[in-house]
Amino acid sequence: MFQLSLAIIVRRLAAAIPTLVLLSLVVFVVLRLLPVDPLAALLPPSATAEDARALRAQLGFDQPIPMQFLIWLWEAVRGNLGNSINFHQPVTSLIGAAMPATIELALVALAIALAISVPGGALAFVLHQRARETAADLTVTLLQSIPSFLWALLLIIVFGVLWPVLPFSGRVGQEVVLPGITGFALIDLLITGRLRDWSSALSHLLLPALSLALSFSPMVIRVLRSGLIDAAGEPYVEVARLRGLSETRILWRHMLKNAVLPTITMIGVQFGFLFSGALLVEMIFGFPGVGNLMVQAVKGNDMPLIQGIALLFCVLMLAINTVVDVLYALLNPRLRAP
Amino acid sequence: MSALAAGAAERGLLGAGRLLGQPRILVGGGILLLVALAALLATWIAPHDPLEQDLLHMLSPPMWADGGEAAFPLGTDSLGRCVLSRAIYGARVALIVGIMSALGAMLIGSTLALLGGYFGGRIDRAIGYVVDLWMSFPPVVLSLILLVGVGTGVDKVILAVVLVDWTRFCRVVRADVLVTRRRDYVLAARLIGFSHLRTLLTEVLPAVTPLIITLFSIEMGVAIIVEATLSFIGLSVPPDVTTWGQMLADARGDIQSALWVMLVPVCAIIVTVLGCNLLGDGLRVALDPRLRQRGE
Repeated sequence: MFQLSLAIIVRRLAAAIPTLVLLSLVVFVVLRLLPVDPLAALLPPSATAEDARALRAQLGFDQPIPMQFLIWLWEAVRGNLGNSINFHQPVTSLIGAAMPATIELALVALAIALAISVPGGALAFVLHQRARETAADLTVTLLQSIPSFLWALLLIIVFGVLWPVLPFSGRVGQEVVLPGITGFALIDLLITGRLRDWSSALSHLLLPALSLALSFSPMVIRVLRSGLIDAAGEPYVEVARLRGLSETRILWRHMLKNAVLPTITMIGVQFGFLFSGALLVEMIFGFPGVGNLMVQAVKGNDMPLIQGIALLFCVLMLAINTVVDVLYALLNPRLRAP
Repeated sequence: MSALAAGAAERGLLGAGRLLGQPRILVGGGILLLVALAALLATWIAPHDPLEQDLLHMLSPPMWADGGEAAFPLGTDSLGRCVLSRAIYGARVALIVGIMSALGAMLIGSTLALLGGYFGGRIDRAIGYVVDLWMSFPPVVLSLILLVGVGTGVDKVILAVVLVDWTRFCRVVRADVLVTRRRDYVLAARLIGFSHLRTLLTEVLPAVTPLIITLFSIEMGVAIIVEATLSFIGLSVPPDVTTWGQMLADARGDIQSALWVMLVPVCAIIVTVLGCNLLGDGLRVALDPRLRQRGE
């Protein structure tokens, strides 16, 4: 089992390297189409043409594009993604500071999404069996039509304005200073024992995570329901019924296990949606994550930063797909045979 | 499109009856029809110009609330612009982006899917690799990067959505083409001497057309959301074009005092996307006999 996981990881990594290089190239070329000169912002108003030329040479912008790409790639391999034009800081440290917030947000969102969609999928299946599914179906379709950033605005309206019980700006309250051990607020505050600050961090996380989870759940519910409908026709369900197991037990103990496999694959494929959603959701909630950073970079035409974050998103997507593959192999007994 | 029309005609009255018997198609199609009418007739039905500012009537509430005026049925925003008129004009950009992007993504994605799925081999592997490559990006991130590269404007937004979302069509349609190509009637067509092109267009394409129509409808909804997302960030269109995303961005500052300014574009987006999804779902069930039996 361990060997199988290892084999998958190695195979995935080998395939990931050309993918990352090609994707970086695509982003690089697209960004060089930029109609405005990103360097204009770096120069003081009194700069001469000579200064501009010197700066271009210093940043390597005077080289031909293929050469620029190779230089960027070589530096990237050595862990240097250049400096942000607008923040005047290394791209890697900006990303490093923002990434834990985004990962924390995505994981909490995923947990909430699963807490909603596993019972939701089971309910949709039960309603399907009782031929009462039109209502359930319409609800899922309606939920599917609401993107995460609209959920964010709706949740702010409900829990921030009409019934102001939850904070909707920032990652923690203004008076709280994060210890910065792992970068994950929930973990750091827990191990330093600051429980009040911990609950502040949690309450700040709730609305953004819920926005992402609510837009993610309908997709999971659909796949889960579909998987359960498929499982219902399998012989083992009939056998379990003959053995006298209750319908509830058959559903939760036996069918769900089998319906989970396609669901896991789907979650891996759709994780990109979660990240896409995080862009706007983080911006709306003033949450200091990578999505927010990306929006600022895009607004400020900050090429090195855009390029760096794009690379990071690709790495994250590839990592998630690897994890999903491994999970799938571990959970699917049919793949375990030597 | 002629192949689509021919396919629909062949199914005849029976098919038309089945389509209209689907409540989801009726409701979804009805919603989209209303939005389309609003967009087409915006000049006549909108009470005001969407950019006209009335600084004496800033943030006035909807007409049924206290202090509301009949001149502004859904109230005004912080610059005194009529919210209803802006919502009506916003339907134009939403629908143009929705239809054109879905059309572009459909043409590119389905063509590549037909070629790859039908011919297989090296062509298929190459197309498959590009699709995988594209899909390792979160979709909105890719459209953002493209927009930074090509600049803003409605045409650029359409281009960005097409370049990102053709993969959705390609992957799903290709799987269907792979199955269809092995059917006896397709092999028979080749045996009686049909050229590859003719086999593709008259035998394979009609079989996957229901799927393409369904995806088209759903893709419209996706494109409308992407456009709203991009104009919410302020990247999609110049400020003198009214979009729902822009209305949302403008309304954020007044969320404490004027909820209606925010709620109108929120509802407009949700209802329109719901229309697309209902229509897509309805078509999927009505056009696919396997699903009809299963009652999905």
